Amino acid sequence: MTTAAMTPLEAVSEILHTKEPWVDTGGVHWLSPGDLKVRDLAKAMNELHARFITITAYQLPGEQGFRMEYHWDLDGCLLGFPFLLAGTSIESIYDLCEAVDWIEREIHEGFGIDFSGREYEPLLLRQGDTMGVNLREEKK
Amino acid sequence: MSYKIPMGPYHPALEEPYKLDLICEGETVQDAKLHIGFNFRGIEHLAETRNYIQVIALMERVCGICSNIHTLTLCQAMEGLTGLTPPPRALYIRTIMAELERLHSHVLWAGIAAKLMGFKTMFMTCFELREKVMDVLQAISGNRVNYSMNRIGGVNRDITEPDAILKMVEALELEMARTVIPIFTTSSTARSRCAGIGVLTGEKAISCGVVGPVARASGLAQDIRRAAPYAAYSEMEFDVPVQLDGDVRARLLVRALEIMESCKILRQALAKLPPGEIHTEGEKFPFMTGTATSRVEAPRGEVMYSVSWKEGSRNPARVHVRTPTFAVMPAIRWMVVGARLADTPLIQASIDPCYSCTDR
Repeated sequence: MTTAAMTPLEAVSEILHTKEPWVDTGGVHWLSPGDLKVRDLAKAMNELHARFITITAYQLPGEQGFRMEYHWDLDGCLLGFPFLLAGTSIESIYDLCEAVDWIEREIHEGFGIDFSGREYEPLLLRQGDTMGVNLREEKK
Repeated sequence: MSYKIPMGPYHPALEEPYKLDLICEGETVQDAKLHIGFNFRGIEHLAETRNYIQVIALMERVCGICSNIHTLTLCQAMEGLTGLTPPPRALYIRTIMAELERLHSHVLWAGIAAKLMGFKTMFMTCFELREKVMDVLQAISGNRVNYSMNRIGGVNRDITEPDAILKMVEALELEMARTVIPIFTTSSTARSRCAGIGVLTGEKAISCGVVGPVARASGLAQDIRRAAPYAAYSEMEFDVPVQLDGDVRARLLVRALEIMESCKILRQALAKLPPGEIHTEGEKFPFMTGTATSRVEAPRGEVMYSVSWKEGSRNPARVHVRTPTFAVMPAIRWMVVGARLADTPLIQASIDPCYSCTDR
């Protein structure tokens, strides 16, 4: 149970039942999600009244897939949770967090990543009709 | 019977292209769909093809109004990857530039809002005031739009005549207090056009993740300058204006009050401007492999940059920009539901949208 005396980071660790250490680097407080599902993370952030900021997608070299960094703000602390994707699909959190709508749609268009459990309307932030042509490296 | 009215992508009420499909019953808007992408330039992809000098000039073009904010955020993130810390004078100059840009953005917006309300004289007054701010920005940087002020480890140009800025700040404060704020706050026309129009409740503002003046007009006291200070903001005293009504009038009041707060910050920064260098010495610095993130409070709200670098590379591996309008614009859908069709141009303008930022 979170209490008012806890720091924002302690409150997150408590609600996620994790003893993983926070790593402060590059202006972000990072917490490795381990086995945590992104939807459980979104539920926990809602409970803490954290403000969703964005998701940043990175394509990893070779066939390593993608890294998806989810960011929330909690009392001015910038929180980061990196999720590794072996394939091109991750669960959508749109039904839990309305604010992710456009960024999920943008990543879907820019990287061709599927956020399962939601429908998309095009944002038109892409060239042509093909998904993943703008920011995803071409496989030769 | 409901019918659909398309507004945009090219429309007299829009400064830039985007499209709002309004589903109406009679004169009342029942729902709206937003379409963006008409200004898509692929800037994030282009950034991967530019070196660490060129990428600053590129990201300055994300937005025509808050161009300085984008280079500031990018440089702060890149400083995180190089370990460079700008000298104190540079941090003060960054603060001064950021507040001048906020003034220029908010006064421009006040003029456009006045025009949409039917106050054409006020529109001219605001643009005259904005011109004075732009004169100062030009005197400092040599440019009226893209100032090229920020670099990794500091700023490119010094402020040599703080008195000229102070004079402009005094004139602006006087005109805002004498003309603009009284008309916006007491005029019955402004009240009838703005009060109770385009309401975004505090609850909806949280759920949509809106930022900046739109969030503060819905009762959320969030401001990165206060919550996570950067540049010299930790040494400035200022208030974060908050309104509770969440309507167009509240957004108008928040921005008007923020103009006065910006003047307050400028006075302090100019008075305390420390002597010394404006950037770190030495031209060579290594980039650390990894990712760095930076946030600043732009005129329209929080901007966030995530920058990633690979070992030995001159180019960033990835630059992701989360602009404030990208976070705020989806909330227009909720603001226009139940509104009169004739109010929708003012409602969409009340978020001070930047479509170029949104599309990138």
